Amino acid sequence: MHGLVRVENLVKRFSKTRLAGPNQEVRALAGVSFSILRGTTLAIVGESGCGKSTLALCLACLERPTSGKIWFEEREISGLHEKDRRVIRRQIQLIFQDPANSFNPRWTVLEILTEPLALTGNLRGEEMRSRAGGLLSQVGLSPDMQGKLSSELSGGQRQRLAIARALALEPKLLILDEALSALDCSVQAQIANLLMDLQGSLKMTYLFISHDLAMAAYLADEIAVMSHGQIVEQGAPEKILKQTGQRNHDALFAAKSRSRFLPAHRRLAACLCVYRSRPRELFR
Amino acid sequence: MIFAGFFAPYDPAEQDRKNPYLPPMRLHLVDHQGHFHARPFAYGVKLREGSFDQYEEDRTETFPLKFLVRGASYRFLGLVPSRLHLFGTETDRIYLLGSDSYGRDQLSRFLYGGRVSVFAGLLGASVTLLLGLCVGLAAGYYGGWRDDLLMRLAELFLALPWLYLLFALRAFLPLAVGPLEAFFLIIVVLGIVGWARPARLVRGVVLSAKERDFVRAARGFGAADGYLLRRHILPETSSVLLTQATMLVPQFILAEMTLSFLGLGVPEPVPSWGNLLSSLQQYSVLVSYWWMYLPALIMLPFFLGYLGLGSELQERAEPYKIGR
Repeated sequence: MHGLVRVENLVKRFSKTRLAGPNQEVRALAGVSFSILRGTTLAIVGESGCGKSTLALCLACLERPTSGKIWFEEREISGLHEKDRRVIRRQIQLIFQDPANSFNPRWTVLEILTEPLALTGNLRGEEMRSRAGGLLSQVGLSPDMQGKLSSELSGGQRQRLAIARALALEPKLLILDEALSALDCSVQAQIANLLMDLQGSLKMTYLFISHDLAMAAYLADEIAVMSHGQIVEQGAPEKILKQTGQRNHDALFAAKSRSRFLPAHRRLAACLCVYRSRPRELFR
Repeated sequence: MIFAGFFAPYDPAEQDRKNPYLPPMRLHLVDHQGHFHARPFAYGVKLREGSFDQYEEDRTETFPLKFLVRGASYRFLGLVPSRLHLFGTETDRIYLLGSDSYGRDQLSRFLYGGRVSVFAGLLGASVTLLLGLCVGLAAGYYGGWRDDLLMRLAELFLALPWLYLLFALRAFLPLAVGPLEAFFLIIVVLGIVGWARPARLVRGVVLSAKERDFVRAARGFGAADGYLLRRHILPETSSVLLTQATMLVPQFILAEMTLSFLGLGVPEPVPSWGNLLSSLQQYSVLVSYWWMYLPALIMLPFFLGYLGLGSELQERAEPYKIGR
């Protein structure tokens, strides 16, 4: 096994250039380095605003880093020409946090699913339709919802649809940018299991970005903790959880912070969910 | 408006010097002796004794209203020459909305005038929208210094006082250009000058649309700029464009009216709604001839209906409400 992605000293600064006046600058990434092995999951955890999403956009070739290098399959991709980046992008797919925002609201499920196919392949109408049906069943959706609008689907169904759309291009790396955060607790568990099944069958590599340490520990082979644009801790999930010293407490804290905005009765359910979904040994 | 030639009984420029400021004629079904007529008719008119502008019905003459009569020639849809009119009388002229100072039929002038005015409105609005859309898309999508430059330029254009600009323009136009052409030239220039407001609105929509996840996702599938603009971002701007269209078309019609009212717009004898209203400038007309107001009153429901149509279209174009 060797690394699929290697990131070295990645820096991203956003600056607002103006015709007059001083430039304002925000440093989103301040020297991030890590690598992900093929077929494994790296989780990146951190509070909001620490640069996780910027990292995701840089890796997906949607933003250009200010400095630093990204190797994808032993090829440096951050400095490539726009045309070549367009080709690379197809192998790295993103799943977004808000499933309602991930689809063109005017399009039906079929149009949504065939968009990546139409952009890349030269499939004909009938082939595309059957491929779309296949993708839907792959993520556990009924193939006869092709004519629906995305707004007619539930949150969980939409996130499944987003995964199906990403799978259409058979990506090597799937970046899940807070992909579970907007979902209900029970739906979260379902989608998490779906992701693990897909990883097993398709040998995909995941970059799981979340502020939910418990879910990260459940899904990932390795966790990196980010703060203020830098990785401050990295290691196996057990190690990361242990380092905080209070294992149970910590998981509970993570769940609590996640459910801060939920009403009281839902908060309890969310905390219970962590205990159920976490592997036993983490609590030993 | 397209069928003005057919609906209008007369040529709008045709004068009837014998009958200036004729009040609208009444249509009757029952004559003064109490007999019922299936075909509506109007009585002839004659000047009241000792007056020069007061008319009364002359009950000795009747003009039965005929449908699909032959009258002044015009071109149907601007192409097919025709003489067929929806209604008219065989002998004398009939004035359903009265006549103006030259004895021209107000109804015909209103219908023909609407053609000029509405066309001016549509032309001006489409020029403005098209230009605003292009600039807005470019500024919003590409961002950076192009955005800054275009928006500063837009602010400059917003600050222009359009009425004085018009005066200047009218003064600069060569006399060799035909009067109607000159007028449409002015409308086009007005349209070009008006790009700033829609451009700013479109830019705002594009700025938020290009950060939407589905646009990012499509970029992730390897889509190029042209595809993103066409398939994802352009449809997002449709509701802004529709709102702007509903506002701009009446605005340009009003601009035409203002210009013609001031005598800078459509030159006589070509009828336009502004020309119809400009006759109200004279005090004597305001006081004595109430039917000269009628075109203004008919324009009201026209504008209201147009605004209603606009808001209806806008709701249909808004996808976010479906199924929520």
